[in-house]
Amino acid sequence: MITLLFGSASMAHGQSLDHLKAGLPDRVLTWTKGEEDRLYDERTIFDYIDGAAEVYRAYSMQRCLSRRYITPQGPAVVLDIFDMGSSEDAYGVFTHDQDGEKPNLGQGAYYRAGWLSLWKDRFFVSIYAERETQATRAALLELAATVASLIRTEGPKPRILSSLPVRGLQTEGIKYFHHHVVLNRHYYLTTENLLNLGKKTDAALASYLREAGAAQLLVIEYADGESAKGAYAAFLRHYLPDADSSGMALLENKKWCGVRLKEKRLAIVLEADPRDLAASLLDETMKGGMP
Amino acid sequence: MKNEHHVITRRDFLRAGTCAAVGSLIGVSFTTSARAQSAPKSRVVLIRDKDVLDPSGNIRPEVLEKMLDQALSTLMGTRDSATAWKQLVKPSDVVGVKSNAWYHLRTPEALEAAIQMRLLEAGVKENKMAVDDRGVLRNPVFKQCTALINTRPMRTHYWSGLGTLLKNYIMFTPSPPDYHDNACENLGALWQLPQVKGKTRLNILVMLTPQFHGVGPHSFSLDYVWNYAGLVVSRDPVAADATGARIIQAKREDFFKSPKPISPPPHHISVADTRFKLGNSRPENIELIKLGWDDGILI
Repeated sequence: MITLLFGSASMAHGQSLDHLKAGLPDRVLTWTKGEEDRLYDERTIFDYIDGAAEVYRAYSMQRCLSRRYITPQGPAVVLDIFDMGSSEDAYGVFTHDQDGEKPNLGQGAYYRAGWLSLWKDRFFVSIYAERETQATRAALLELAATVASLIRTEGPKPRILSSLPVRGLQTEGIKYFHHHVVLNRHYYLTTENLLNLGKKTDAALASYLREAGAAQLLVIEYADGESAKGAYAAFLRHYLPDADSSGMALLENKKWCGVRLKEKRLAIVLEADPRDLAASLLDETMKGGMP
Repeated sequence: MKNEHHVITRRDFLRAGTCAAVGSLIGVSFTTSARAQSAPKSRVVLIRDKDVLDPSGNIRPEVLEKMLDQALSTLMGTRDSATAWKQLVKPSDVVGVKSNAWYHLRTPEALEAAIQMRLLEAGVKENKMAVDDRGVLRNPVFKQCTALINTRPMRTHYWSGLGTLLKNYIMFTPSPPDYHDNACENLGALWQLPQVKGKTRLNILVMLTPQFHGVGPHSFSLDYVWNYAGLVVSRDPVAADATGARIIQAKREDFFKSPKPISPPPHHISVADTRFKLGNSRPENIELIKLGWDDGILI
């Protein structure tokens, strides 16, 4: 399927946040290291990040190293390195916000409005300036390049991405996640955790554009077939009680929604127009490689 | 027949009218407008003074106090603010001032001090009042409080679209993530918690340097705050939030020069009106009184 999404990545070999910290520069252009570095874990991260901290916890964040760089000439630059425990989860956090320019850094990076995000191996790196200037932009890019080079290895993307049909896939917008709360941030489906998402589930949400039309595809891999079957039944009962025999229904907004189950994999097509596109995506997803 | 638990889904919003629900901006109810026509208006006072901030952006406490006093007497329809405060609290009250400590944009200490001073002047005992944010569940004053003053700055927020007065009570639950679903639409439920229900006497939305956009994990950049130099004061938190949200939305359109809806949509404001009946979100149900500086008022 989509081998283009996978590099010739090698697994991480235990490179730690402490190792990265030791290699961080004390100076970036005219910025110098400010107060002492701070370390946060999955509990204390709430003291540091308000609101969005839940995102990092939803991806099994291990630790976060925060360093502040200051300069008399301008705004501070804040570096946060998140050890996400696995490259899959580092990639997942990275996919949470995808917009802006794409500097060639790490295994993927974005720069927008004074914020640079990148991922490499098990690390998600965020660098932001408290105000954007030409100088902060240069500092962010230089610091990001340094951090990316300190991370010696690359890591694989989640295997579930290989189940996404290639044709028409909008690769820039793929989201990878585990939790209901993250799904709802990207696409509000239900207030309750109808699909029984959690730490043991892998999920990908992607957009498609084909000649025939557009759709979104949600693919979920459960730990076992029983969990998948339960989610399938709940979805049909609460969301698509009017589905036809092929698991499809035309919703109130005149878009098609459909659901399909195969072993541990559940596929849901959302916002599809026309119907045939929804059916094709479900068929192709179920033909994709099973983990 | 056994009644099955109804799960609220996207389709409920679609059935109610997509444009008015999921994709709506602030202050637009997605249910029937019957309440809009019958509900009494909520008074909201927007007061601005460009001198409240010095050239370095520091707050001038004496100007802020004057703004608060003028807003209060106008809100309550009294000859002075002292009379207004005496209508809001009794000397026997135990008062919690629910503040907001987010370090990028906190409730100004000068405002917290001014509120405490006015409470003292109204007869509330010093040991029967406290200012707190994250410690409210452990704070002995908050544990026994009979009255709450709710104050915080308005800002864009990652989960809820906007950090609002309604959201400021999230520290009254031991499990804030329980309220994150669908852009925190059920924040109004916080106001039914026993520590909170029926206790709020006043809401002060700080719009001195509000934040209209956010990027990154910290959702903060000095590029996205501006000197609005205002306070929005009301007894109705929904009306105050809806008013603030209209200002934020107007600022976004002015700044980005294109339609840029607050994202995610802060529909917890309209839901607090229609589902939780906490106040009025619709502009036609809000009596907005504007005082002071009107340059760049955006509303």
